[in-house]
Amino acid sequence: MRLKKYLTLTRAGMIEALQFRLGTVVIVIGNLLYLTVVYFLWKAIYASSGTDVVNGMTFSDTLIYLVLATALFNFMEMYAVWEMGRSIQSGKIVLDLLKPMDYRRLLFWSYSGSFVMNFLTTFLPTFIIVGAVTHGAIPLRLNLLYFAVSVIMAVMINYSIDFFVGTICLFTESIWGINIMKQVVVLLLSGATIPIAFFPEPLKTVVMYMPFQSIYNAPLTLLLDGSPDIEDVLMILGTQLFWCITTTVISKLFWKVSLRQITVNGG
Amino acid sequence: MKRKGFGFYFRIYCKILAQDLKSKMSYRADFIISTIGMICTNIAGFISFWILFRSFPSINGWSYHEMLFLYGFSLVSLTPVQCFFDNNWSLRINVYNGDFIKYCFRPINLFFYYQSEVFDIKGLGQLAFGLGTLIYSWTKIGLALTPLMVLKMILFLLTSSLIMIALQNAAAATCFWIQNSFYVLDLVLKFKDYAKYPITIFSPVFRFIFTFIMPIAFIAYYPSLVILRPDEVPVLSWLSPLIGCVFFWLSYKFWMFGATKYSGTGS
Repeated sequence: MRLKKYLTLTRAGMIEALQFRLGTVVIVIGNLLYLTVVYFLWKAIYASSGTDVVNGMTFSDTLIYLVLATALFNFMEMYAVWEMGRSIQSGKIVLDLLKPMDYRRLLFWSYSGSFVMNFLTTFLPTFIIVGAVTHGAIPLRLNLLYFAVSVIMAVMINYSIDFFVGTICLFTESIWGINIMKQVVVLLLSGATIPIAFFPEPLKTVVMYMPFQSIYNAPLTLLLDGSPDIEDVLMILGTQLFWCITTTVISKLFWKVSLRQITVNGG
Repeated sequence: MKRKGFGFYFRIYCKILAQDLKSKMSYRADFIISTIGMICTNIAGFISFWILFRSFPSINGWSYHEMLFLYGFSLVSLTPVQCFFDNNWSLRINVYNGDFIKYCFRPINLFFYYQSEVFDIKGLGQLAFGLGTLIYSWTKIGLALTPLMVLKMILFLLTSSLIMIALQNAAAATCFWIQNSFYVLDLVLKFKDYAKYPITIFSPVFRFIFTFIMPIAFIAYYPSLVILRPDEVPVLSWLSPLIGCVFFWLSYKFWMFGATKYSGTGS
């Protein structure tokens, strides 16, 4: 009974996502364009380096990593900051706050529908195509299970960071600036644009201590390693779990404290 | 009706600009945060660039500093579209909710009036960043600094700008036909990220596509060849100012065609 109200939101989100079919087509074109550029760019980089393995990754490793990072981005990115910012500016947030459901949960579950749709329409096809094209360069063993667990935590960390940044909008009333800052910081430091293995040394260590690498780097590392040490897996998943709990608690607390002091213009 | 001269439009532009700046200044926090956001975007772009290319002396025959020159060139040439044509992003919202009709009733050029309404100061930060990169790489490559070079530089920067403006106009104008032109605009926005790579890294097929079908190569590559490789300038580089003007004119006609077709929402 408790779960039913959440699943209703999921269903509504799925139906909503089906309304924007043209958008999906354009996103697919955009991704193909991005992947073409990435393919040739890295090919040129590997050709100039003179060796097959750069920073412990081969060309096909890098390519699979980046393709799946894009697919993961399309599936996880939910533009929650935009949504929160807009509701705050228009005053619509008051109506959502009055609903008999915690706002943080309401927002998450309203997006869960598009998660499901994006997973089915972008991530799964990409995954299968990459697997087929590279003739099994993605190992299909226990790592798939680790990957699944890792992605779920990545979604939660990503959402907590989004929600935290969205809460800042309550104070600043600036959406564009806050959002663009969050986006570039997360995409760069999470290893979504360049694998973290390529980062130069002091930067790499610093980045590994930040929560962002748990969003893209952690699941993809787990996926690409066919026969990992169990210690490494536990280390990565443990770090993710730590960040998952920390970011959730911080974003929840911050929201609670902020909510007491906001003033919202009438909706 | 008598055609109005350049002086007339210039005076009007200054007046609208002053009003816009005044209204922006009343949201000072938003302005400051947006500016910081823009600077963050540029820094993140630069860091990814640095991580990718720092360890290789050259990519595909392009030295690190020549790549940097291309990068700076693309940043500077994108400033006009950011500063003067930012209102294109709101076009779909104005068209959707019917506000666009107010622009149709003014006795001045519709396109001019619409675009003049917003001046985006954030672009100036990008301009400073781009100029810095350009000057740094200019001295590192050891290019001569003659009046002719500077003149060429300005001419070809303007060319690049015109092409990007044309692309954005055309993308924004699609909203007169399709509901959600955001995705189209976003796709075109991505072009600018790819403009900074030399087109020689692509295979012949994609070189053709990026030159004639999606003219990404004209945003920075072809125009900057005139400065970077004066001994081997292809015909397309010399033609690019002409192509830029033609593109701009076509996009203007396309935009106006959509605007005259617009019938309002009835409210």
